[in-house]
Amino acid sequence: TSQAPQHPHETSPVPGGPVRDLSLRSLTDMGFTDCQAGQIFETVSSLRGGGAKHVLSTLTVLFVLGLNPSSVLKLLVKCPELYSVKDTQLQQRISNLRKLGLLEGSLQRTVAHYPKILTVPAKSVKSVAVFLREKCLFTTQQITDILRDSPAVVLEDQDQLEYKFQYVYFRMGIKQAEMVKSRLFRFHLDEVRCRHSFLERRGLYQTPDKKGQTSIINPKLDSILSADQDTFVSQVAQASVEEYNVFRELLAREWKEEELQQGRIEAD
Amino acid sequence: EKWAATRPKHPPTRVALQHFDATYTAQLGQLWPSVRIALLSERKYGALINNFSQDAGFADLEAQGCRDFISFRDGEAGSSFEHIDANSQQPFPLHLSQNIRCFVFPKGDTTRFKPAKPDQFGLLCYYLMDAASVLPCLALDVQEGHTVLDLCAAPGGKTLALLQTHMIGYLCINDSSVSRTLRLKKVLQSYVPKQFLADDRLRITSFDGTKWGEIESNTFDRVLVDVPCTTDRHSLMEDDNNIFSKSRTVQAACPGGEILYSTCTLSLNQNLNVVEQGIYLAEKNHDIRLQVVSLQHLTKMFRNTFHFAPDLHLGEMVIPHLTANFGPIYLCKLRRLN
Ligand SMILES: C[S@@+](CC[C@H](N)C(=O)[O-])C[C@H]1O[C@@H](n2cnc3c(N)ncnc32)[C@H](O)[C@@H]1O
Repeated sequence: TSQAPQHPHETSPVPGGPVRDLSLRSLTDMGFTDCQAGQIFETVSSLRGGGAKHVLSTLTVLFVLGLNPSSVLKLLVKCPELYSVKDTQLQQRISNLRKLGLLEGSLQRTVAHYPKILTVPAKSVKSVAVFLREKCLFTTQQITDILRDSPAVVLEDQDQLEYKFQYVYFRMGIKQAEMVKSRLFRFHLDEVRCRHSFLERRGLYQTPDKKGQTSIINPKLDSILSADQDTFVSQVAQASVEEYNVFRELLAREWKEEELQQGRIEAD
Repeated sequence: EKWAATRPKHPPTRVALQHFDATYTAQLGQLWPSVRIALLSERKYGALINNFSQDAGFADLEAQGCRDFISFRDGEAGSSFEHIDANSQQPFPLHLSQNIRCFVFPKGDTTRFKPAKPDQFGLLCYYLMDAASVLPCLALDVQEGHTVLDLCAAPGGKTLALLQTHMIGYLCINDSSVSRTLRLKKVLQSYVPKQFLADDRLRITSFDGTKWGEIESNTFDRVLVDVPCTTDRHSLMEDDNNIFSKSRTVQAACPGGEILYSTCTLSLNQNLNVVEQGIYLAEKNHDIRLQVVSLQHLTKMFRNTFHFAPDLHLGEMVIPHLTANFGPIYLCKLRRLN
């Protein structure tokens, strides 16, 4: 029998090959269901620019991380920016997170919970870690915990971050370990300040003096922050929701006026 | 450092605040935290309508969502002040002057008033003051043709409210501070037409009010004694003020005349004790008997606008609250019997 002529199927997947074109087939081959593959294919086709090229290798990196097809899809739905991250960058970012102490299990959970962390350059993540170590004196382990529990810190403005730290450290008299335990960096600075001011003006929170003493027992940072608003207001602050709503408005106005004042002083 | 900017602008000293916490926790119990935060936050104002002005500016105020708390009382029949409690100490109904009007934004609304505009004669359309400060003027219950003494009058908010009644026969306005009296005159000039400030209608003096009984006694149908006190909002030092108890101000009232004592402090020392002592000393030293006139119906009428301290055995007190951040104002009414 004569040898059948080689029909080079240009679109057929070449396992391990460097460049594969994105097709439904290539996606189902990776383990996505038809429906999932369709969804990805559609999203990628709608993306502008030539991002589609490295999509398969980017997906591969996520699989290598140990995520299954449906978690990968969830990730991409949450954070479509990931489609346009090159596989090499992704690789680099993941290994940087490992270096910062996010080990197997917590690394995957962090990525699944906050996929955006993989859109941030390794350099920026490193600089946040340096900032936390040098400006706020967190230990290496504490920094790992912060990255795991509050990965959004990597995208926060560093001035804001510094202000938040200083506020809680100096004004509320709270040490690093407690900040980490109560997942401080999950909360917006305004929320922290507002809840603290509410308690302070009600006479339920005091800044410790130089010896670290207060004449009342301050509520724990964790109970202040982790409660939902209604619980915070009724249980921790023992107030009414109406009072808290008015207070938020008044406080926002005070802040605005302070900023104006500040601006005027600086302009002088 | 940056965090320093988060400190309150006028931080009361820790010691003073702790003293406050101790005193007022004992006095107000569970209410204190809500009062405390209200004192440390922006207060609310009322716009006392100047009915001498051509342009009262109502429409504008109403469009912004405020209302006259005196005529507009939710869930309260308009003439309810004719109902008198059977166990009330008040033998006669209180006639709320229909002419005193004071606009406020509703509970929980933090909108600020715009500065008042002058009408074509340069008179301002409203005067911004603590809305609770209008209560002593309402409680004073001025009747047609009354001779009235406003003993500690500057800067003049309550004087202005009293003038709105258009019922006063003759008004004596006094404040011991000369500079503050000047300020009061300026206020009156910005709000009241000249002919109403003529000598035959009123007189402005700067005497020491504690001596008033010696100057002029048994004269007035109504006496307003709005004593100076260290106000809780601005200062955290406290000393009881005896301008009332040690003085002979009650002698200024004629027999049957009424005296309204008011302060802007929460302090029981400055309030109840001073009144009690005043009643005692008036009888002991001057043989003047004073009867306390209940103001309960007043608090009932305005309970939707103000927070009142519950269960004071003497007088009534508006306590600040974030949703209605007026006061503190303490008021107590006395009738001279002989
Ligand atoms: C609480 S302010 C009065 C506010 C005023 N009634 C109003 O509604 O605008 C107390 C006033 O009492 C005055 N004062 C202080 N000691 C006095 C005295 N011995 N006799 C008369 N007035 C006095 C002060 O100068 C101050 O203006």
